Amino acid sequence: MSSLSARTFEAEVLVIGGGATGSGIMRDLALRGITCLLVDRKDLNAGASGGNHGLLHSGGRYATADAETAAECRREGDILKRLAPECIDDCGGLFVAVEGDDEDFAARFPEHCRVAGIPCEALTAAEAREREPALPDAIAAAYAVPDATIDPFRIVLENVGHAQRLNDSTYLPHTEVEAFEIADGVITKTLCRDRRSGDLVEIRARQIINASGAWAEKVARLAGCADVNLLYSKGTLLITNTRVTKGVVNRLRLPDDGDILVPGGTVSLLGTSSVTVENPDGIAPTVSEVDRILAEGATMLPVLNETRFVRAFSGVRPLLKSAGSEADGRKANRGFALFDHEDQGLSNFATVAGGKFTTFRLMAETAGDLVARRLGNAEPCKTDLDPLPSGDALRWTEPGAAARDWYKRSDPTDTILCECEMVARSVVDTIIGQAPGAEDHMSLKAIALRSRIGKGACQGAFCSMRVTAHLYDREVYDSPDGLRLMRDFVNERYKGVRPVLWGAQMPQAELAEILHCGLGGMDLPAGKDGGTTT
Amino acid sequence: MKRGTRRIETQLAVIGTGIAGFAASIFALQRGLDVAQFGHSGAMAYTTGYLDLLGVHDQRVRDDPWAALDELRLDEPKHPMSGVSNETIRTAFNGFTEALGDMGIGYSKAGDCNLSALLPNGIAKPTLSVPDTMLPGVVALETGAKTLVLDFDGLQGFSAKAFEVNFSERWSGLRSARMAFPGMENRQIFPEVLARSLETRATQEALADLIRPLLNGAEYVGLPAILGMHAPDAVRSKMEQAIGATLFEIPTIPPAVPGIRLRECFERAFPEKGVRLEPQLKVADVEFGTAGATLHLHGPMEDIVVEASAVLLATGRFLSGGLRSDQHSLSESLLDIPIRQPASREEWFRHEYLDPRGHPVNRLGVEVDSAFRPVIPDGDPVNERLFAAGAILSHQDWARQRCGAGLAIATAYGATEAAAAALG
Amino acid sequence: MGAHSRRETLDFLKVAKDLLPDGASYDACVGCGICASGCPASGLFGMDPRRFINMAMLGMNEELSTTPWVWACTQCKRCAYLCPMGIDVSQLVGAARGAWATEEKPSGIVRSCAAQRLDESTSAMGLMSEDFVEIVEETLEELQEDDPRFSKLTVPIDKVGAKFVINQNSREPATEPEEMAPLWKILDYVGADWTYASKGWAAENFCMFTGDPDAWKDMVETRVDAINALECETWINTECGHSFYTLWAGIEKFGLEANFEAESLVTYYAQWIREGKLPVNSDWNKDNLKFTVQDPCQLVRKSIGDQAADDLRFVVKTLVGEENFIDMQPCRSANYCCGGGGGFLQAGMSKERRAYGKRKFDQIIATEADYVLTPCHNCHSQIYDVGEHFGGAYTVTHLWTLICLSLGILGPNERKYLGPDLAGINLPETS
Repeated sequence: MSSLSARTFEAEVLVIGGGATGSGIMRDLALRGITCLLVDRKDLNAGASGGNHGLLHSGGRYATADAETAAECRREGDILKRLAPECIDDCGGLFVAVEGDDEDFAARFPEHCRVAGIPCEALTAAEAREREPALPDAIAAAYAVPDATIDPFRIVLENVGHAQRLNDSTYLPHTEVEAFEIADGVITKTLCRDRRSGDLVEIRARQIINASGAWAEKVARLAGCADVNLLYSKGTLLITNTRVTKGVVNRLRLPDDGDILVPGGTVSLLGTSSVTVENPDGIAPTVSEVDRILAEGATMLPVLNETRFVRAFSGVRPLLKSAGSEADGRKANRGFALFDHEDQGLSNFATVAGGKFTTFRLMAETAGDLVARRLGNAEPCKTDLDPLPSGDALRWTEPGAAARDWYKRSDPTDTILCECEMVARSVVDTIIGQAPGAEDHMSLKAIALRSRIGKGACQGAFCSMRVTAHLYDREVYDSPDGLRLMRDFVNERYKGVRPVLWGAQMPQAELAEILHCGLGGMDLPAGKDGGTTT
Repeated sequence: MKRGTRRIETQLAVIGTGIAGFAASIFALQRGLDVAQFGHSGAMAYTTGYLDLLGVHDQRVRDDPWAALDELRLDEPKHPMSGVSNETIRTAFNGFTEALGDMGIGYSKAGDCNLSALLPNGIAKPTLSVPDTMLPGVVALETGAKTLVLDFDGLQGFSAKAFEVNFSERWSGLRSARMAFPGMENRQIFPEVLARSLETRATQEALADLIRPLLNGAEYVGLPAILGMHAPDAVRSKMEQAIGATLFEIPTIPPAVPGIRLRECFERAFPEKGVRLEPQLKVADVEFGTAGATLHLHGPMEDIVVEASAVLLATGRFLSGGLRSDQHSLSESLLDIPIRQPASREEWFRHEYLDPRGHPVNRLGVEVDSAFRPVIPDGDPVNERLFAAGAILSHQDWARQRCGAGLAIATAYGATEAAAAALG
Repeated sequence: MGAHSRRETLDFLKVAKDLLPDGASYDACVGCGICASGCPASGLFGMDPRRFINMAMLGMNEELSTTPWVWACTQCKRCAYLCPMGIDVSQLVGAARGAWATEEKPSGIVRSCAAQRLDESTSAMGLMSEDFVEIVEETLEELQEDDPRFSKLTVPIDKVGAKFVINQNSREPATEPEEMAPLWKILDYVGADWTYASKGWAAENFCMFTGDPDAWKDMVETRVDAINALECETWINTECGHSFYTLWAGIEKFGLEANFEAESLVTYYAQWIREGKLPVNSDWNKDNLKFTVQDPCQLVRKSIGDQAADDLRFVVKTLVGEENFIDMQPCRSANYCCGGGGGFLQAGMSKERRAYGKRKFDQIIATEADYVLTPCHNCHSQIYDVGEHFGGAYTVTHLWTLICLSLGILGPNERKYLGPDLAGINLPETS
């Protein structure tokens, strides 16, 4: 790829969407020797890839309703466990029925697993509690399955980082596709907008892949393709302050609200809900969703009633529309589809949509096969064989990684900027210098996405100010924009904090507001006294 | 071995060790009352050191807090400060800052206008009174004076560079530099540790020696708030002599010196003033009888039973423990005074964090009558001998209104006045 | 300390749940760092109290179970004192200490505890009960011979039914027996009905510092049994902090039966002065030498509270003159630990211990005092050591020395902890 002028780019392949699928395609193609330009209208994992459990499904959750997806999950899960072990916590999982749950459903579960090829071990209540002491006494049935967790941020960063190292593949954040120029059934130019500067960005690519997740239907329509039809299912999750269970704990019933608790390294994630929404933009978790999820979750794990939650977040599952799926997103097919759009009259455009995080690699492989064939590249897919190497600037989203690294290095001059998650200055500097997107302007928010900054109990109350101060020191910031970016960051964090504000999180929120307003002037308009708002 | 019990008798028991509680004790002493004060550390630890009266009203930054108070009385008649006249507030405010001055922390006298006080990010905030160690910064900003702002290796969250960049447009003479603090090289440092170290002559001299060559004509030198802990004015004056420039302090993010300084100042001076202060004990429970109240506290080795003729509740909000919440409701922690509140948690917070209207939850709290006695909502006083002051009161949003100290001081004054009257 | 094996890796969140009362669990932490800012052990081994909490939250149990910082934290509870949420890191530090394999723990602490458990004397310096009795008797004889004014002075041992039973730090009988005499003289002066106990007399408890609750309990039980047997109204802890705390807190923690009240000697000094029984004054301080005082954490913050600090100041101000007394800042319940407590002095970490003590040293230097009074043996040693190390020109002294000096009964051989400026002041006329 070469840059013709400052805002014009050329690439063999343009990949739209910096989620798991898009980054997976980028790496898939790079491994075949094809260079890509990856764009996202926000930044990596801004959609469903960053708005999920991080559950690497054994397939158990789909075994009863959708054996095909279940088997696919199992196969893909095995591949990822083998090739990207550093992104995965192979913690195992339980399916647990509590008193009052459908006993027949529970009884049929092992057989459904067998059909899908999912190992499933029946446990007594005592054995289940031995594994997970947080489980209640009243357990009606329990099975162990090979569930695992995956760090969705790490694996996407690693995908992009590996692709960048393999060839000249590039990543452009904050670049939104606005229009396609089409001539003779070929997209000749993709017109994008840099969402921060407002500049026009023109991209010429031989092939264009739309992997924009929940926005895939909109992007396809920009190219005149009406064949992608998605259903948007909003799911909300709650994050605990500390890890509650050792492994994944699933409620043994048809998927419903609040029936999975997934460890996320040092925390646990409780979810999820499923609400069909009209628009994938502007979603945020609500108080009533949180209360409903918690009430259900506490039936399975009563300890959740005394647990401190630090945040909630929502994602939108982009589901492929099918009969009967309109009313209930959970009934929609969790499989994916590749649209080559040839019946729409285009020869260099494709959309891959639907699917699950667990199956992103397979989605990327399928899309990669099509693109490679179209480009006359005969290289086979390698992502099912080649281990995913790890990059130095890319491993900081793993909970506890920065803390353990700092502790081990014991360098007293390496000041910690985020105390909750113990993220040191050197980590921030590495990210600023080397992480995907570093060629570009790296803001507090971008650094937070690539690390654990802002993810601890204080939810950015302190670290937002410390990191911002550091970015001024490093001259990454050289104008009052740095303060506005800080304000935007805490504003954004708040959306997830709001619905879990009670108990121990209330003093935390009060302290945050005292700091952000009293010391940071963030609530006041810029002027003689105050402020940072405009 | 029996667990010991210590008995204390007092006219007024002040519960809470924030600005409101300490102000209440000061005012009660000034009225000749016998005072005992109890509490634990809370939100005061996080103060900038600035004493705001009313900096924002009707979502606008105000230069004249007194005029803003007049408007407040019309617009928010239930605001706890609305029930106290400007004249009384001025008396109370000056009474408080003078007491602080006597105890070792000089403050500027309440003027007619708000000051533009410095914040670490390189912006200013409206406040009424600032510590003497911070006042020259206000002047330097106003005049755009030649100023050198310094920070130190290893000090989290304070960037002289950020201060310079963000003030640069309105402060032409501003420069910044970074240095290693003498004796604290190559490590993470807390402002508190620097402040303590600066109480020794050796450190004062060593730091002055490092600063002097950097002056380059600067009339002012700004430092993060580290100029000593218990005698800041003396430390500043010694350092100024050694450096040959006017020094000022800039508040820093917690854990910061100004809050620690205030707390230690009160802890040091109050016993000398005859206040029986237990600054590390939370009151466990209070029972009201016919002639006042009995308070129970549990020290490490002994229990304390306090017989008080009147009680002043200044326990603050969630951070200080005066209020608490569960998933469904708010409550007052010590006496379970009923709190008028919306039906659902959904109503506590707005959808936008920095919504200029502020969050409704911040205006929930203990309702009081005109004598600062907590009342059952729409009802009678909880007890004739119970008074309340400070952030625990409802109908105010001190953080957003920039009225934290004003609220604490005005209501502490009003509540002690009422308590003194009730005690005859 | 290099790489170390450990007995077990603790789950610190679980330990916190078990040890800390509701509402003060780590989960309540708002991350403000007031604890870390106010802790002299912050920065040692890269740790501080907030980091300890955060590492527990992050599940860094291996690191917390092995960090030598737990031996540099003196468990002074200043963090709990400052924390708006009342979180007490010191208890978790105690648990972490207990998780270390005995052979990996600082040998000085382990040896001292082992020595204490060897004999019912409970002496960390290995002084057996009969040795203690013999040394006391010999020292008493010398005193009676040297100074006719004290020819009838008695030192009762195991006197059943005495009003007070008083303990004795091992350092004096073991290394400087003449330093016991000032206290005897004071007790004689006020006409106290007192006794030593031949068993459990030692005023130190390194077993608590090992983090082994069984050893702590064992030590307290031995002492409580010995004191109970004497049927005394009050057990007075000598000028020392931790032996006071370990006893009363041990009695509460382990649910032991004690038929006596626990008091500090400082409380009685103050009482006797108020009652006129100890007519001390500052007349001797003609040069207006300046004094400051170290509030022992174990006595003030962790036990009696500011009441003890008030008594301490009353005693000191009476002794040296109000105008010659300068408080360190902060002081009383907010005082900094000097770094001599928690077994740190015996932990063999001189570099870290002195770095810790630098804050105390600066505090002392800021007072510009000539003397530091330390009613605690560990404070005494540490403050003396950091003074030597950092070049402080102050002298460290016990209260009993000054009390006897003021009363004109401090013998010439009891002045090793006075500077040359006071060596010749108020010498007893008869000697």
